[in-house]
Amino acid sequence: MPELDPITLEVITEGLISVVREMRATVFRTARSVAIHEARDFSCGLFDPTGQVVAQSEDIGSHVVPLPWSVEEALKDLGGGLAPGDVILMNDPYRQGTHLNDVTIVYPIFRDGALAFLPAVREHWADVGGAVPGSMSGTANEIYQEGIRIPPVKIVERGRLNGALMEVLLSNMRVRADRLGDFNSGLAACHTAERRIDELAGRYGIETLQAAVALNLDRSEARMREHIRRLPDGVYRYEDYLETFGPDGFEPLLLPIALTIGGDRLKADFAGASPQVPAPVNSTLAVSAASVLIVLKSVLDPGHALNHGSFRPVEVSAPPSTIVNVTHPAPAGSHGEIRKRIVAVMLGALSGACPERVSGDVHRTSFHNLIGGVDAGTGREFVHYEWSSGGNGGFEEADGPSAMAAIDWGDLSTVQPTEVLESRFPLLVEWSRLGLDSGGPGRRRGGLGMRRSLRLTRGEARYSLLADGAVMPPFGVLGGDSGGTVESFVVRPDGARVDFASPGKVGGQPLAAGDAVVLQSAGGGGYGDPLERDAGEVARDAREDYVSRAVAEAVYGVVLGPDGALDEGATAALRGRLAAARVRLAIVADEADAYVPSGPSRRRIGRLAPADAARLGLGEDGRFELAAGAAPLRAWLRVDPAVAPGSAPLDRLGRTMLGVRPGETVLARPLRVPRVSPSTPGSALAPA
Amino acid sequence: MGMDAAPDPASAHLVGVDVGGTFTDLVLFDAGAGGFRVVKTPSTPDGHADGVFRAVERAVPGEAARVARFSHGSTIATNTVLERRGARLGVLTTAGFRDVLVVGRGNRVRLYDVKATRPEGLVARPDIIEVDERLDAAGAVLRPLDEEGVAAACRTLAARGVEAVAICFLHSYADPAHERRAGEIARRLLPGASVSLSSDILPELREFERFSTTALNAYVAPATGRYLEDMRTGLRKMGIRAPLQVMGSNGGIWTAERMAERPVNAMLSGPAGGVAAATILARSLGVPDFIAYDMGGTSTDTCLVRGYRQEMATEGRIGPFPNRAPQIEINTVGAGGGSIASVGPGGFFEVGPRSAGARPGPACYGRGGVEPTVTDANVVLGRFRPSDALGGEIAIDIAAAEAAVGRIAERLGLGLERAAEGILDVAVARMTASVKEISVMRGLDPRDFALLAYGGAGPLHAAAVAAELGIAKIAIPPLPGAFSALGLLIAERRHDASRTLATALSEARIEDIEAVLRPLRARARAALVADGLEESRVRLETVLDMRFEGQAFELSVPVDGALDSTDALAARFREAYLERYGVEDKDPVEIAVYRVVGRGPAGDIALPEMAAAGGGGSETGRRRAWFGGRWRETAIHDRARLAAGDRVSGPAIVEEAGATALVPPGFAATAHPSGSLILSNGGNDA
Repeated sequence: MPELDPITLEVITEGLISVVREMRATVFRTARSVAIHEARDFSCGLFDPTGQVVAQSEDIGSHVVPLPWSVEEALKDLGGGLAPGDVILMNDPYRQGTHLNDVTIVYPIFRDGALAFLPAVREHWADVGGAVPGSMSGTANEIYQEGIRIPPVKIVERGRLNGALMEVLLSNMRVRADRLGDFNSGLAACHTAERRIDELAGRYGIETLQAAVALNLDRSEARMREHIRRLPDGVYRYEDYLETFGPDGFEPLLLPIALTIGGDRLKADFAGASPQVPAPVNSTLAVSAASVLIVLKSVLDPGHALNHGSFRPVEVSAPPSTIVNVTHPAPAGSHGEIRKRIVAVMLGALSGACPERVSGDVHRTSFHNLIGGVDAGTGREFVHYEWSSGGNGGFEEADGPSAMAAIDWGDLSTVQPTEVLESRFPLLVEWSRLGLDSGGPGRRRGGLGMRRSLRLTRGEARYSLLADGAVMPPFGVLGGDSGGTVESFVVRPDGARVDFASPGKVGGQPLAAGDAVVLQSAGGGGYGDPLERDAGEVARDAREDYVSRAVAEAVYGVVLGPDGALDEGATAALRGRLAAARVRLAIVADEADAYVPSGPSRRRIGRLAPADAARLGLGEDGRFELAAGAAPLRAWLRVDPAVAPGSAPLDRLGRTMLGVRPGETVLARPLRVPRVSPSTPGSALAPA
Repeated sequence: MGMDAAPDPASAHLVGVDVGGTFTDLVLFDAGAGGFRVVKTPSTPDGHADGVFRAVERAVPGEAARVARFSHGSTIATNTVLERRGARLGVLTTAGFRDVLVVGRGNRVRLYDVKATRPEGLVARPDIIEVDERLDAAGAVLRPLDEEGVAAACRTLAARGVEAVAICFLHSYADPAHERRAGEIARRLLPGASVSLSSDILPELREFERFSTTALNAYVAPATGRYLEDMRTGLRKMGIRAPLQVMGSNGGIWTAERMAERPVNAMLSGPAGGVAAATILARSLGVPDFIAYDMGGTSTDTCLVRGYRQEMATEGRIGPFPNRAPQIEINTVGAGGGSIASVGPGGFFEVGPRSAGARPGPACYGRGGVEPTVTDANVVLGRFRPSDALGGEIAIDIAAAEAAVGRIAERLGLGLERAAEGILDVAVARMTASVKEISVMRGLDPRDFALLAYGGAGPLHAAAVAAELGIAKIAIPPLPGAFSALGLLIAERRHDASRTLATALSEARIEDIEAVLRPLRARARAALVADGLEESRVRLETVLDMRFEGQAFELSVPVDGALDSTDALAARFREAYLERYGVEDKDPVEIAVYRVVGRGPAGDIALPEMAAAGGGGSETGRRRAWFGGRWRETAIHDRARLAAGDRVSGPAIVEEAGATALVPPGFAATAHPSGSLILSNGGNDA
């Protein structure tokens, strides 16, 4: 390898990043899917011949971080027979993709007869076929309903487009002309990359380029090792749930994590994860592993650019045929949900290792809402896709931001212009506001979710929702409380509200002109005890409509005068009363099985004395959480007269997650689930 | 010109004053003497006009009455936003859309950081008040304006002491009637406040960007208005009766009165002056396609100009806030003479964006700076050692520069000169990347452009940047160190009018398109005439933003001359699209935005053609300078003494007040008759 001084390295690195930026500029300005040009739902990356990402720019972590696994799969199939002028197309989740809508173009670049670099573009295509417009159905039970599956194939071979294959693909997608436009935009970006790489290689020599790449990877690795080394060694655990619905209703699916930190290495183990299910709550190993990396980066080494070197000290283990490592033929459309839940369990586990560096839970789901059909005005097919982001968790220094893309989303725009939607689709956005009280209470409040109403103005359409977090709210940490859940329902022209039997999972709900879909994204979890929040901040939250007066009093213990001014005396007294009324329980060691079956999976139960259950206001199977210094432990109540009042029996695993020993006391409280009010001002708009 | 007697054109003074972050530059043209004067004074940090007055007093003692034009490049609007010193702002908006300005596009501002927060907005959430009204995308009224509600909201805002109101209704680009009526009510009930309508400030689709631009306008309007009023009063006190003009972000000269109403158009007031001047200068050089490269103390601004036409921004921002007012696309990168070189955690070598600024400044200024800067690297290499740095205020401390660069050389394990060279290499790489963003990322090859280099540090690095990009021709204009101020004297007036209206070319007739353009032309013409320009001197240009149906991003296509057919329009778009993206497409084409640009001269007194006026014998001395890994004996020339046609072979250094031009080995510099210095590669062998 040639010698490289730091200056040449810096100049080459700048050159490689500039290649990716140029690719992005090309896609952004030429693609057809609204999701791409209005929301930047695409990513570009530059890979080395072993599939390691060597450069990226302001891309979406959810796309670009799993991309190396896809590139590796493509090389596994086609690597030996690749030639200049070949273009690989793929979207197969089982081959380490994300979901079928994320269509990936991989473009091998050769120098001196050898594979040198692979630029790749992953774009969210607005439709890839399947059961519903937009392809993401909340009720799919096999992958075939989620669209057409493309294993790694040469769509262009030695410069010649495989027209027959392209025809087959497009014939299985809605709005086919746009899909061809999307493909061309990705291809144009790869051509751009090839020209620039040629220029760089001509200037520095391919070996120097490759040496610079290797050195950058090594440095990122060293950086991540240093960050891991600073964490206290140990095994940190947490658990959370994905949501499905069986014949008897809600069936939570368990997702546990064991995070082992030893020296400068870290292992994330998902042993015990729920088996995969015939519902869209499964995703791929690539997505799971990428999610672990995204959190480590965002918590331990924020802000800096990301390459594959950071991942070398990290091992991820996920058993096959589980929700975090899906295999044929289960639906695989839930990368947005698995990713958010891995973010959650990672934050939960890290809250034990470095509580001052984590935040409350983020908004639980990518919240894929789809309204599509044939526009009765123009006779054209349309698909509107929207993914309103929710609140982010509070953290030591500040409240969580409201309605802002989460850490796995890069700079994705999550609020689309109403004026563009109404110009293009038979939809009227009736209102679009932050959801009052949807932020998790805490010393630092979680951010608020977005609350929107979209009315169909003419013709008919179908509504699908692929989401999660419609039952289990985002958790707070260090005593912070839960943020609001995801919600969605239909409001008929006469004002009648129609709820869905499976909240968060909707497939092709028919809509008629005048029907409105109301949606609410989740909030962020709080950080720290809400009774310790600065009372002036609570008064300001009330004044600015982030928190209602009712919640200010009941949850924060802050009393406001008729003019909204803080009543300090009454506040101190109320806070004292609320603190005294809290249910505090002493931990008792109890190694009995803490789980009961839940569909194909398990859920945690918590035995409490009848008197304590009554103090919580909960009956059998009611949901509650135990909160201590880190993230809270959630369980379904078993009222058990054998349990001593004032105590909480807990197994070793549960004690590890909470970070408590027998004899210590913890806070018990029911799960807080604020709901959207069905009647919202401003919804009286008549359709055109 | 008002009621006062105009100064005698034969002896008039034209004054341009550009306020920069560190210095205020004044350029005065004396029509009587036929020459220029340059004055540099420190800017007053709190944004007051005092620094400007000081510069004027120094430039025109006792001759104020001779000032016939006074043009100003101001940072007032920009600083008001960046320092958050604007008005208490109230916003009236369509019921249901209170949070458009609160959440924006809901995107993350800092990637991979669990602790990222959203920047504080310009308006407090309670001061955004919803009123009942609604249009659809075609401008049809779904709900009439609730005038009582508007009045109640205005009373609430008045009671809260709001000083500025932005009226931001959905789809107001399609029909401004509701906003106008609400504006009348607001002006009546909030008589002291400035009122901005989104349909007025930016009648274009996409509510967040339009509302943000409008809110910015309202936010800075009171401060800008006061500043311009203070400026007028102060100038009058000094005896200057010429009307006050302000450079706009669109590269045109505005009257102060119009700018006070639309101050959001002054956010790029300074840098736009430089680009405007560069464009006019390029005409005298016969260089229609060039890249303006303005390297100052803390940052470098670049702008692409094709066919003497400046690229206009589509994604403009000021700080974190979208600003879609018509503005020249100026790409800024944090690399300038004061940029600091450092070795970060993990051994990453960085130059900028951290800057030593004016205080303490580079180590070589001897004002307490110890970290090595780009300027120090140039001092170490013998390239920059002027005897009159900062107008003679300081003497360059070579030992301090060597000590500062020496420390980083040790950390990098490199020799002193190699480290200094490395600092420049990295700075040049960052500036080159910035030029690529405005050229190659649009499918344009920088080798087809000339480089027009100015700013205090531009002429020193122009050859390296050009070599890096493969650019063969470099022009260094006269007065490069005060070029933006010079631009204020030579820029034209300009007024932009636009309208959003989707028009499918396959369905529209050319007369329909003309019918949309006609009122826009009338508006642009009327605005310039109202500013005092004779109608016959107004020139109009038409630009259509077009796209393939189904796309949401447009390409601006100039369509000057008679519009012959919709097919011809579509063909022009396809051609432009192919050129930019390298993709051919057969899909139907639509117009998204109609634009008309009106231009005309900013004053009656024309500047003379600049000229190289020296009498030859320019070499003033020699010293060692480092090029290509060794010290070379290098000639020092005084630019003022270069005569037209004089040729200087590299290695050489050409010094003048306020800037130093580097002519590396292999390059040669020729004094162009127009007064510019032309650098070209391949002049002489190394």
